[in-house]
Amino acid sequence: MDLNLSPEDRAFRDQTRSWLEANVPRVELRTLEERRAWHRRMFDAGYVGMGWPREYGGQAASPMKMAIVAAEMARANAPAPINGLGIGFIGPTIIIHGTEPQKQRYLKKILSAEEIWCQLYSEPNSGSDLASLRTRAEDKGEFFSVNGQKIWTSGGHISDWGILLARTDPGVAKHKGISCFLLNMRQPGVEVRPLKQITGSAEFNEVFMTNARVEKSDLIGRLGQGWEIAQTTLGFERGGNSMARVTRYASAFERLIEATKKLRRGGKPLLEDPVVRAKLGKVYAEMEVQRYAALRVLSALQKGDSPGAASSITKLSYSEFEKRYYELCLEILGPYGQVTDGGLEESSLDVDSSSGVRSSWSYAFLWARAGTIYSGSSEIQKNVIGERVLGLPKEIRADRVKF
Amino acid sequence: MDFSFSPDQQLLKNSARGFLDEHVKPAHVRALWDDGRGESEALWKEMAQLGWLGLALPEDAGGSALGLVETAILEEELGRAACPSPYLPTVLAAMAIDRFGSAAQKSRWLPAVAGGGARATVALMERELDWGAGSVQTRAEERGGKTVLTGVKQFVPWAHVADVILVPAVAGASIAVYTVDASAPGVTVTPLSSMDPGLRLSTVTLDGATVAGEARLPSAGVLEFLLERGAVAAAAEMLGAARRCLDMAVDYAKVREQFGQPIGSFQAIRHKCAEMLLDVENSHAAVYYAAWSLEHGAADGALSASVAKAYVSEAARKVCGDAIQVHGGIGFTWEYDLHLYFKRAKALEPMFGDADYHHELIVRRVAR
Repeated sequence: MDLNLSPEDRAFRDQTRSWLEANVPRVELRTLEERRAWHRRMFDAGYVGMGWPREYGGQAASPMKMAIVAAEMARANAPAPINGLGIGFIGPTIIIHGTEPQKQRYLKKILSAEEIWCQLYSEPNSGSDLASLRTRAEDKGEFFSVNGQKIWTSGGHISDWGILLARTDPGVAKHKGISCFLLNMRQPGVEVRPLKQITGSAEFNEVFMTNARVEKSDLIGRLGQGWEIAQTTLGFERGGNSMARVTRYASAFERLIEATKKLRRGGKPLLEDPVVRAKLGKVYAEMEVQRYAALRVLSALQKGDSPGAASSITKLSYSEFEKRYYELCLEILGPYGQVTDGGLEESSLDVDSSSGVRSSWSYAFLWARAGTIYSGSSEIQKNVIGERVLGLPKEIRADRVKF
Repeated sequence: MDFSFSPDQQLLKNSARGFLDEHVKPAHVRALWDDGRGESEALWKEMAQLGWLGLALPEDAGGSALGLVETAILEEELGRAACPSPYLPTVLAAMAIDRFGSAAQKSRWLPAVAGGGARATVALMERELDWGAGSVQTRAEERGGKTVLTGVKQFVPWAHVADVILVPAVAGASIAVYTVDASAPGVTVTPLSSMDPGLRLSTVTLDGATVAGEARLPSAGVLEFLLERGAVAAAAEMLGAARRCLDMAVDYAKVREQFGQPIGSFQAIRHKCAEMLLDVENSHAAVYYAAWSLEHGAADGALSASVAKAYVSEAARKVCGDAIQVHGGIGFTWEYDLHLYFKRAKALEPMFGDADYHHELIVRRVAR
């Protein structure tokens, strides 16, 4: 065991920190072009797609270096690069499963955010039971014709391309009849409608596909291999950004402490209230344990271990913690924690939410509800942990039959 | 950065597991529960031979000069076995003597501890339900060139078998810690019965107990050292108990059938087991982060010790309790072994401060 950063990693951290201090935009990025410009600056400095192989424009950087960049960005409150899904796992999926022409055509423009990508997996009637999806892709000889509806499509409204799961064979067991495609979002058969969330904003969309066209050359892997490919894709989604997350929790905690010094009850700062202190101590302990656990996972990644199903533990842990965390923040802050505008100037409080957007306590509180649902709900994670980590017997399932 | 055990650390863990699986089976634990003394001289001697007692002591005292991470590894395995043994208070007291003691104190106690010839303990709690310096009322007074201690210490682990007891006392304007020979006149040790018969506690009455001239540990910070390291060692032991309970619950859920299926196939049981694993893995991270940080003098060493004790105290209680729930009625019987570990985790929960106690310490550190 050695929890110190290596001298090389420490130097890299310092260098990253100075770069961010000098380059992080001082004003909020409002337009897509402003965000793309920031992405471009980070890309040119080597902070985007660091984990990708060199031959595709990455640096094959270590997990530790990527974690350092993520944590330093959170610390500097830097806006995220724009093409997160593309860089985080659609690109890697193409690298693993794609053909050489697909790699040549798509990868470079993912990295540079010249083309922005989204993920077309979930459907209104296929959430946790993703494999029951009904969007069809029919072989029309020269191309595939896609009909159906997707939902929870992050960034769909700004995307040029999407990675799509669609049913190509309704005559076989449901997991076997799904294929994976690359879908051009900029075509008449694709309609994107923003989906307003409980936060009031609309990061997600509904996507309607009516005779949308997918070229034959945009099938990923083999016909019927879609489910298998989705499993690798979902694997990339888990546990990747833990260090950034715990950095944001810590900065929110500092603000929470500041708030408890400012707000008063019974003539004394809230911070002197024993009940408030008990809550603060408990949540701090939990928050630190998230950090220690993130370091442990990072250390395993660094050694080349693939966490596999164990990454479900990380996802379950942070997402459930995050809900408890912001619930507790709002308990302590009372109505002050719910104000989004107005109120007395001296009592305004702000926080960096875990979505990376500098925002309100209430936004963070509301956004935390998403974490235990997206990318495999907590209930699904517990099934995965039970079956694949602990080796408990599988449920008797009624869905291993013909679709 | 490397959070995993080194090959040597893994070897230590494996050999401890192997030894305890063979020599400290549940039947042995139960026999010691019924034993008046509550621990085994033969086992103690074996621990000395295995190098466990001198693990963190210097080589010139017969030790191996390893540290708190290795100690935590052993503690975890001892907790996994619910081993009845004065290991924790002995090595804790010895580490403090090694760190703070004079040359004479070290040569008097450390080789004896490492060689299995002496047991030690620490007496932190008095009348108040508190572990810190603020509640120490035991007085140390100078009478005719000698130091005399007067006071009552409660819930002192394994005091009835200890040769030396570390005793914090008020000495003038400050708190000092004394090494008290348990056989000195004026020292009375009264054992009490408690829920976990594998962790024996006593009341120690100091009624004008005279301590030898060189009994005071010279440096300040001894009490904090004891509390921080004690908290981490106890958390490691609780982690071991929790992991044992998790393993038993999962094994049972795979074979116990109801409604014609293994109960582990039901989500109600499977999800509970998944939550237990989450608590255990997070506890692992907490224990070893704190052990490493204290050992290496990291800035957040003391803070991480409080985080570990607070988190693991609650997590281990919950995991061990949930294991009983997964087992159903059989888990509630005396005959079934789960309660050995359930009780060990619970017995260690208040020791060196429970979650509430450490939550307050955390806030004092992080909200100035």
